[in-house]
Parts: sequence; structure tokens; C-alpha cells
Amino acid sequence: MNCLEFRRQLGVDPLSSGADFVGHRQECARCAEAAARAVEFEAALRRALNVEPATQLAESILLAQAMQQQRGRRTWMRRGGMMALAATLVLAVGLGMRVEASPLSAQAVEHLHGEPEALTLTQAVPPASVRAAFAKRGIALRHDISGEVVYVGCCPMGRHLTVHMVMPGNTGPVTVIYVVDDRVKQRDDFQRDGWRGRSVPLGSGTLILLARDTGQFDSIESEWRTALQG
Amino acid sequence: MSAVNSKQRQFDALVRSLSGDLFRYAYWLCGDEALANDLVQETFLRAWRALGDLRETNAAKAWLITILRREHARLYERKTPQFSDVSEIDIADERDTVQPESAGEDATIRAAIHRLDPKYREPLLMQVLGGFSCDEIARELNISAAAVMTQLFRARQKLKVMLGDGNKEANVYELS
Repeated sequence: MNCLEFRRQLGVDPLSSGADFVGHRQECARCAEAAARAVEFEAALRRALNVEPATQLAESILLAQAMQQQRGRRTWMRRGGMMALAATLVLAVGLGMRVEASPLSAQAVEHLHGEPEALTLTQAVPPASVRAAFAKRGIALRHDISGEVVYVGCCPMGRHLTVHMVMPGNTGPVTVIYVVDDRVKQRDDFQRDGWRGRSVPLGSGTLILLARDTGQFDSIESEWRTALQG
Repeated sequence: MSAVNSKQRQFDALVRSLSGDLFRYAYWLCGDEALANDLVQETFLRAWRALGDLRETNAAKAWLITILRREHARLYERKTPQFSDVSEIDIADERDTVQPESAGEDATIRAAIHRLDPKYREPLLMQVLGGFSCDEIARELNISAAAVMTQLFRARQKLKVMLGDGNKEANVYELS
């Protein structure tokens, strides 16, 4: 290997361990100096590229995978029951019965039961992730919320599109679900399956809060009102 | 141990050992921290569904990077209109969250990497972050190994020039 070939290889792969490359470096002082500079630059390049991921990235991925599996199982089970459901609906219509759709509050509680792992998280997600989740649903937040969010996901809830979040609080986590495509007519507090809840018409959708007690509902509702409406 | 448990353990190990590397690759690919998080998550969810295709543990990183690159291309096609109104200020802010220093060597080099043309940046990422050889990069990018070598050479050259350190060397080392 001559000097020109060495310098070419140095630009392609400064950490090359090829015998010719190493041999020339040992024989040629000028190329050895150039190699030392290149290795120093390479170290600086590696340091600069080494951006740190969020500390909970791996946990978030495993949680998303667990949730996806759970949803998959539920879908499979639902398919199994479809024929029975279809038969029941036909019978109900035949009998002139009125079949009502499940209200958003009930769907939200069912969704929460389906993703219990979300309530166990404790590390804050960056505001950029919250903004990105809303952006995915076509909504630009006017302000970041000041409260901490420890889980955010774009979840389907029945036929609805939502942004599902969990905010920690002094008296336990509060599940915040923004239903993008359905707006309730009025603000309402409810209780269901041991959960206290509130549904609020906000923007073009509905904000649903769920927790064991309502102590933090007012402040969280106010924060999201500002974030969504300015 | 059941097959399901075995698959789950393999997946857990992949996520815990490689999600950081995947994030770094995704971040430098798209330049946006939140989008990089989404890309990595989507990559692993796809990997879970196709885990049976992974024959060798040693090939896991390359396999995941291949999935991530496809996902990035798909996401870009899907999301371009939706993200077209996101301001440059937002993107700059997100970059700031990954770059704690507002000045200094790392920040200067990072700014230069962001300015690097993707055709030079991606082979460099594959080599430095992914640990790929020139032949592996060539296969992944579907170009010749000689072209990869040229792009790697020029990527470093351009970075040095941007950093004010490569002017006197630029002509001397140019590949034929």
C-alpha cells in the first residue's frame, strides 16, 4: 500500500484493521500522523452521534407490544363472538328493541381495563412526544401542559380515535383520554366500575378523565382546555 | 419454557439491548426526537410480528435497521402532508432537547451532520452507528461497494470542510 492508497482508506474507514493499512501506518511517519488526526476526528464524530434516547424508551416499546398483543387477543375473541352477536341483533331488531351504542364513558373505562400497564409507569415522557401524538391525530396543541405525562399513545377506542395519556398525581394516576372524533353534548361527572370519571366537550372532541377520586380533575381539565383551545 | 415465552424473552432482550442504537440511527435519519421514538417503536412492533424471520442473533441489528429504514420511508410517504405545517422552530426545539450543550464541539459537529446530504449521511451512520462493512452498506442501499467507499470518504471530507478542518486536505485525498 502506498501513501495515496493509505489516505484513501483512511477517509473510508479510519479504524480499518487491514494488514496493508496497519503495515503502512507503521512504516510511514506522515501517514501515521494523518491517521492519528483521523482517529481523533472519528472519536469526536462518535461522541457527537451518541444522542441519548429517553430513559423509558425500552419500557415504552415493551408496553406497546404487550398492548398490541392484548388488543389482538380481544379482536380474535370478538370475531369468535360475532356470529352470536349478529344473531342477537337480528333477534333484537325483530322484537322491536332499541339497541343503544355504548357511551364514551363506558368505552373509556373498558379501554383503561385493557391497558392496565399504562397506570404503572412513572417516568415523564417529553412534551414533544405529547405534541407528536396529537399531531398524528391531526391536532396542533396550542400550549404544552405544565403537568407531567408518564404515558402517551394513539389508541383506537372502539370505533373512535383517541390520544390516551396518564398523568401522575398526589392521589394516584389520572387517565386522560382525548376522543378526537366524537363530542359529547355536555360536561358530565360519572362513576363506573369503581372509577370516577368526567367527560368534557372540548374542541371538536371529548376529554375524558378517569381516576379513583376526582381531586385533580378541575386542574387537569383546566390545563387541557388551555392546551387545546388556548 | 414455552415457545411463546421464548419468543417474548428474545424480543425483550432485543428491545433492551438495541433500542438505544436504533433510536440514534432513527434520530440522525429523520432529525426529530419524537419522530425517532415513533420510528423505533413501530420498528420493534413490526419486528415482533416477524421475529420468526430472524435466524441469527448476530444479524439482529442489521435486520432491525432494515425494518427501520423501510418504516422511515413509509412514514415519510404517509406523513409528509400532515407534518408539512410543523414549524422549523418546533424541530429546532426538539433537536435542542437532544443536544444539551448550546455550544462546544459536539454541538458544532451535530449541526454539521444535520447539514450533510442524506446520500452521504446515511452510509456514514450505517458504518459508525450500525457497525456495517462497506459490502453490507452496499447491499442495504442497493449500490456498489465502490460507491459506498466514495460516499463514506466524501462524507468525512465534507464534515471536515464544514468544521473548517478539511480545506487543505480536500484535494489530496479525493478518490479517483
